Amino acid sequence: MVEIKNLTKFYGSQPAVQDLSFTVGDHEVLGFLGPNGAGKSTTMNMITGCLPSTSGTVLVDGYDIAKDPMEVKRRIGYLPELPPVYPEMRVRDYLTFAAGLKQVPRAERDKQVANAMERLHITDVQKRIIGNLSKGYRQRVGFAQALLGKPKFLILDEPTVGLDPAQVMEVRRLIQDLAQDHTIIFSTHILAEVTAVCERVVIISKGKIRAEDSIANLEQKFGGKKQLRMKIEGEITTVTNIINSTEGVTGIDEAEYESAGVNVFTINVTGDDVRKQLITRLLAENCMVLEVSDVHASLEEVFVRLTSPSRADAMADLGKELDAKREAEQSAANAEAEPEGSTEADADGKEDA
Amino acid sequence: MFSLYKKEVQSYFLSPFAYVISGLFLLVFSLSFVYEISQANSSVIRFSFSNIFYNNFFYFIFMIPLLTMRTFAEERKAHTETLWLSAPITIPQVVFAKFLGVATVYLMMMLLSLFFPLVALIKGSVIVSSLICGYLGFFLWGLVCIAIGMMMSALTDNPIIAAVLGEAAMILVLFLDNFTNTGLVKSIPFLAKILTWFSTEARFSGFSQGLFSIADLVFFLSITLVVLVWTIIIVEKRRWSRG
Repeated sequence: MVEIKNLTKFYGSQPAVQDLSFTVGDHEVLGFLGPNGAGKSTTMNMITGCLPSTSGTVLVDGYDIAKDPMEVKRRIGYLPELPPVYPEMRVRDYLTFAAGLKQVPRAERDKQVANAMERLHITDVQKRIIGNLSKGYRQRVGFAQALLGKPKFLILDEPTVGLDPAQVMEVRRLIQDLAQDHTIIFSTHILAEVTAVCERVVIISKGKIRAEDSIANLEQKFGGKKQLRMKIEGEITTVTNIINSTEGVTGIDEAEYESAGVNVFTINVTGDDVRKQLITRLLAENCMVLEVSDVHASLEEVFVRLTSPSRADAMADLGKELDAKREAEQSAANAEAEPEGSTEADADGKEDA
Repeated sequence: MFSLYKKEVQSYFLSPFAYVISGLFLLVFSLSFVYEISQANSSVIRFSFSNIFYNNFFYFIFMIPLLTMRTFAEERKAHTETLWLSAPITIPQVVFAKFLGVATVYLMMMLLSLFFPLVALIKGSVIVSSLICGYLGFFLWGLVCIAIGMMMSALTDNPIIAAVLGEAAMILVLFLDNFTNTGLVKSIPFLAKILTWFSTEARFSGFSQGLFSIADLVFFLSITLVVLVWTIIIVEKRRWSRG
């Protein structure tokens, strides 16, 4: 288990990370999300003991990084943002050296190095000089290094940066594979990655935690509004009137011209069964519904909302407000609780527009 | 720690680095050897290895920063230091492993220069005890310079700047004695006395003439140790301000 408590780092008077606290349980994959310069690497450097913190503690399996750095470092495999590889060395020699550095017993070194190379598919380049390898391979050599010494925890700092799409897929698969016997914290600014491999995310921006939750919960909490996208053929004023007068519709967010007589509407709705009603009413008026789809507020949207500087604080406040409201309403009827929450988010969405 | 030491020594020979510097070292050594031999017939100067060591060091000392410039600066620049910062190894261990690595390369270069005394031994006679003493002095003074060069390398993340700082430090090491002997410093006996304590050249000249003294040995080793401790402090300090 990795416990991070009130972790803070100042560079001079400039705060890089402020008051970060979160916990990662065993066999969990935690996505560490944030825009560039949010303090992701700084945090990871502090967890791995490369960088001392100004205040706060990191406990790995109960060992404090400041008091028992050796015990902590033995349990952690770290892949920094830039793979720490020596360009003049050969892949195999480098990995054997790294294994020695991690105090892997001499008898086990060859086996572990071979295993790591196999896992990263670099066995065929083991005799090559690292400096001559492509970025993708170098990244994988760095990754293989992190696996040496059989660490329980893997800290991966942007493991997919600079890789081609096929390699990115491969690394994601590898992370999923490793998740079975490792606890993984990995940082990224690519959201698809998080959705693909993590159960839980911590979103940070400007050195502060903006959100910490499961992906589904985050989408629900901050995604807020429900929208329908409908492609409708018919006279625009008629269609607009019908939509606006339907119960459960709170307004038209956007109407886009598609071709003569065909428009795409993005409609804000509250209930789930608005769709049925809308379609029936439109068809009754001879307006053809060509396409209907749900618009999901994706993690992407959550991320942008939480991390864009002007809105970050507002959203964090809103999050707290929503939480408070939800708690207060838990005693009240459940049916009422949900629409209330959505309208709140709606109002916020409008302000934004 | 042994892994790091091994890797340090290996990496010198993986690049042309060690070969070029050893070549240069041997070139300088052979030139001064030839020069000394050519002077051997004169009635004023007697051929001796102590002279060769002495002359050589004047040139060679400026090559040491080239050996040490990459030790820390390069690692900072290439971000490879995260490897040993996140590994279960302490910073003093890293500094000592690196120091021993450079010292080993340095020792290898000295062994190569044994060629010249061997030639002299075959064709003439050599006072072996004096020769050993000369080599010992050469090695010890080299250790001090290596430690200083490493400290300079820890100060920056640019190997070139590390080399330049190292050269400046070497000039200081080399000419501290001359500086102490200037009229200005001599007029302040107190200052002159302190500076003489730190003058390495005088101590080396004892060794190069075949005079072995425990005091000098302790002096060289303790200076080396002090500079290494400073290096540890600098590396540790810079760890706090890493990006």
